[in-house]
Amino acid sequence: MKHSSFGLSRGQGGLRLAGAVAVAALMAAGQALAAGQAPMLDALVESGELPPLEERLPVNPMVVEADAIGTYGGTWRMGMNGGGDNGLIVKTVAYDSLVRYDHEWKSVVPNLAESWEASEDATEYTFKLREGVKWSDGTPFTTADIAFAVEMYQDPDYAAGSWIDNKNNPVTLEVIDDYNFKFIFGTPNGMFMETLAGVDGIHITSLQKQYCSQFHPTYNENAAAEAEAAGFSSWALYLQDRCAWGWETIRFANPDLPSIYAWVIETPLTANAQRVTWKRNPYYWKTDAEGNQLPYIDALDMRVSQGGVEELTLAALNGEIDFQERHIATTTNKPLFFDGQEASGYHLGEVIPSASNTLVLQLNLNHLDPVKRELYQNKDFRIGISHAIDRQEIIDVVFTGQGEPFQVAPRPESNFYDEELAKQYTEFDPDLAAEHFAAAGLTEKNGDGIYLASDGNPVKITVDVISALRPEWIDMLEIMQLQLGAAGVEIELNNIDRTLFYEKRPAGEFDAQVWAGDGGIEALQEPRYYFPFSDESVWAYRWAQWFNGTRPEIAEEPADWAKKQMDLYNQVRAAGSPEARADLFNQVLAITKEEFPVIGVSLMPNSYSIIRDNLKNAPATMFNAWLFPTPASMDPTVWYFE
Amino acid sequence: MVGYIIQRFIAMLLTLVAVSVVAFAIIQLPPGDYLTSYIAALSSTGDQVDPRVIENLRIQYGLGEPFYVQYWKWITGILQGNFGHSFEWKRPVSELIWGRLGNSVMLEGLAVIVMWLIAVPIGIYAAVRKYSLGDYLATVVGFIGLAVPNFFFALIVMYLAFIWFGTTLGGLFSPEFENARWSLARIWDFLTHAWIPVLVLATAGTAELIRILRANLLDELKKPYVTTARAKGLTEFRTIMKYPVRLALNPLISTIGWLLPALVSGSVIVSVVMNLPTAGPMLLRSLTTQDMYLAGAIILLLSVLTVVGTLISDILLAWIDPRIRYGGK
Repeated sequence: MKHSSFGLSRGQGGLRLAGAVAVAALMAAGQALAAGQAPMLDALVESGELPPLEERLPVNPMVVEADAIGTYGGTWRMGMNGGGDNGLIVKTVAYDSLVRYDHEWKSVVPNLAESWEASEDATEYTFKLREGVKWSDGTPFTTADIAFAVEMYQDPDYAAGSWIDNKNNPVTLEVIDDYNFKFIFGTPNGMFMETLAGVDGIHITSLQKQYCSQFHPTYNENAAAEAEAAGFSSWALYLQDRCAWGWETIRFANPDLPSIYAWVIETPLTANAQRVTWKRNPYYWKTDAEGNQLPYIDALDMRVSQGGVEELTLAALNGEIDFQERHIATTTNKPLFFDGQEASGYHLGEVIPSASNTLVLQLNLNHLDPVKRELYQNKDFRIGISHAIDRQEIIDVVFTGQGEPFQVAPRPESNFYDEELAKQYTEFDPDLAAEHFAAAGLTEKNGDGIYLASDGNPVKITVDVISALRPEWIDMLEIMQLQLGAAGVEIELNNIDRTLFYEKRPAGEFDAQVWAGDGGIEALQEPRYYFPFSDESVWAYRWAQWFNGTRPEIAEEPADWAKKQMDLYNQVRAAGSPEARADLFNQVLAITKEEFPVIGVSLMPNSYSIIRDNLKNAPATMFNAWLFPTPASMDPTVWYFE
Repeated sequence: MVGYIIQRFIAMLLTLVAVSVVAFAIIQLPPGDYLTSYIAALSSTGDQVDPRVIENLRIQYGLGEPFYVQYWKWITGILQGNFGHSFEWKRPVSELIWGRLGNSVMLEGLAVIVMWLIAVPIGIYAAVRKYSLGDYLATVVGFIGLAVPNFFFALIVMYLAFIWFGTTLGGLFSPEFENARWSLARIWDFLTHAWIPVLVLATAGTAELIRILRANLLDELKKPYVTTARAKGLTEFRTIMKYPVRLALNPLISTIGWLLPALVSGSVIVSVVMNLPTAGPMLLRSLTTQDMYLAGAIILLLSVLTVVGTLISDILLAWIDPRIRYGGK
């Protein structure tokens, strides 16, 4: 058995994941070995309920390599936080699409598609599907299903949004035969394979034509009447209920919906479910290196909490959780979990977050108040604030010393890591801060020691924050409030609900908002803090609208430097080769470094996973990310119980 | 007596109509609607939905209509037994809430009974043996029970159970009984799980009841009729139980109506912490996702329970206290 060591080594670029690629993706074509299947399936085959393994596996099954060949059986226990926690399902089960990433999140490897080709100008992508792959109900998976998904996503009555119906660069599909097809884009889409390998890829393989077409009037003239009979006011609502898109919560409430996942729903996720369970998909199309059908683990058992994680934390401590990182791996829980390892028979794995920063302070550069806008757009003002923050104090108090002062920049593990970008203006220096404030035109102070802005009012920044999302934000901001108050800038905390947080953005009158530093590793795909990229670029919301055209009524023409970045990023999208994209994106980051648009606090410290000692092939080190959905991207199909 | 009940009943119906308007207004109060919170949830995972799609959904859900139109549709639906659809779960609300309301009523009903069983004897004892060691003990324990938040008490109990017995407390059923039909085995399973949350829920209320009962009884014990009863040679037990206790219970009975809603709202955090599938967590979630018909149905039903509870306590009061029964005349 090949050994894939997943160790950590300190290279020039800092901490770097190293190790053999664990997925030997491109298999020599040929008939499957069809060596073995789970004992529970043997009986079904004998009784004739299930066709034999050779007929269920594709001609060329996807082979997943692992440290060791496993044994069948067992139930993987984990926990969901409340009924709306579809994220856990997506990150555990639903990540199977045309292609996927390798374990290092570096290159794109085959999955349902066994090969692909991109045109020189990155507008045409040709795919070849594995022949003989079947849905969980035994129906063949073909280009007809791809075509149906494209049709549904592009139907305005079907409520879903993704790259398939992205109106800035819509895709058209050209079906060649049952297994070959082309995606054609209007304008070049150089990063398409990365999009497809990430979590967004699952949209295109989420709808089975045979099952889902019965709810659409194009395929079933009685669709509207049947919807009404089922208690829905329109066929569209019934369709969305039965065949919800990609990772929508309601999708996992329908056990009849066929899928291509390794496990299929047994107990669905409903409003009153206290448990969501999954059993093996007898038609799963992957095998281990010896040709045994995957997955090894028989079933998944997800307990559903009522919106709190206290019971789940205790269950994990008590050895009732086999593998989990989500929800329970908080900084405060770490000593507790560390001490419980031996007694409860689990150990801790390392988890590297994809986010760069614990807290990003985004001043609203597009503020409607001209005085505030001018001040926030002044780079010296932002540098002054950055120097007035004593980051080490925050790290010591809130994160028990874990992490280091850091700006909003690619993480050391990323190819785009730039120490200067990550470290500039991070030293605590009140005198330097005062110099920069003076350069920004702030010299006069009022009786409370707060600077006066050009309109004579004290400089007061109201910071919107959702403490429910990350409780430590409030702790951090309270320390920053004292530090910045001493430096002459008043901070007011505004702890609000998520809906209001989003509603305030288009209005343009908020001073600042706080979020975590997404895009620490996936900088290229998630550059929201590096230039005005999306609605999540809160610091330049109106400039971002100008870039992506979603709300033309409030779009504003960006500053020249931001326009330059947008221009460069459009070139990144069009570039065909990874090297060219990296080179262009480095130019985007160089402008970010020069302009310093948002202020970071500290590097997001590593987290940990709980791994039961008898669970084998589970990763000792993994990322935690949304675009690279972990642990599904670490091939849990080859994990097994000893 | 009949006239009194009819009068109360009419008052109850009028209150319910008012409550339904207020309930509907409350769920409409927060900025935005279900779709804005849906978009917010999507965009926080980096997803964006085409505005045309959202416009379509808004029409499909009937969210763009004026308040009175939405209210009229809602209330006429309810009169026909249709509470509307939950946006989040795409299911009729009536399908979702009964099980949870049942759990709530069962759990909180048990909590009320336990509360009374503990509080009434202790309250009587504390009043009769005023300033005795037992009274001080009851006072101290009572104040601690009153001061410790329920959810915190729940956390401590859970932690101690884990440290001492190595068990994970939580939930109302064992996994094998979660989706089973009611049977003797399931009732037993429920009881073995429910006694802890019931105790937790009962603590704060118990302390309060002890204090109220003690204060009322102390007032009554000083009255001349008690002395008369003693002088006539009644046993001490009969003297106290027959007259002063009966009168001291008055305020307890008149608050039956508030008990249930107070327990439901007070139990939200306990339910979240101890993982109890009651109405509380569902109400909380439906309010945060602005799933308005679901939230509205729960608020309305809780209000109905309150109003019905008040009616029951009115009738009970009239029954045990002739002064109220004949008060109207």
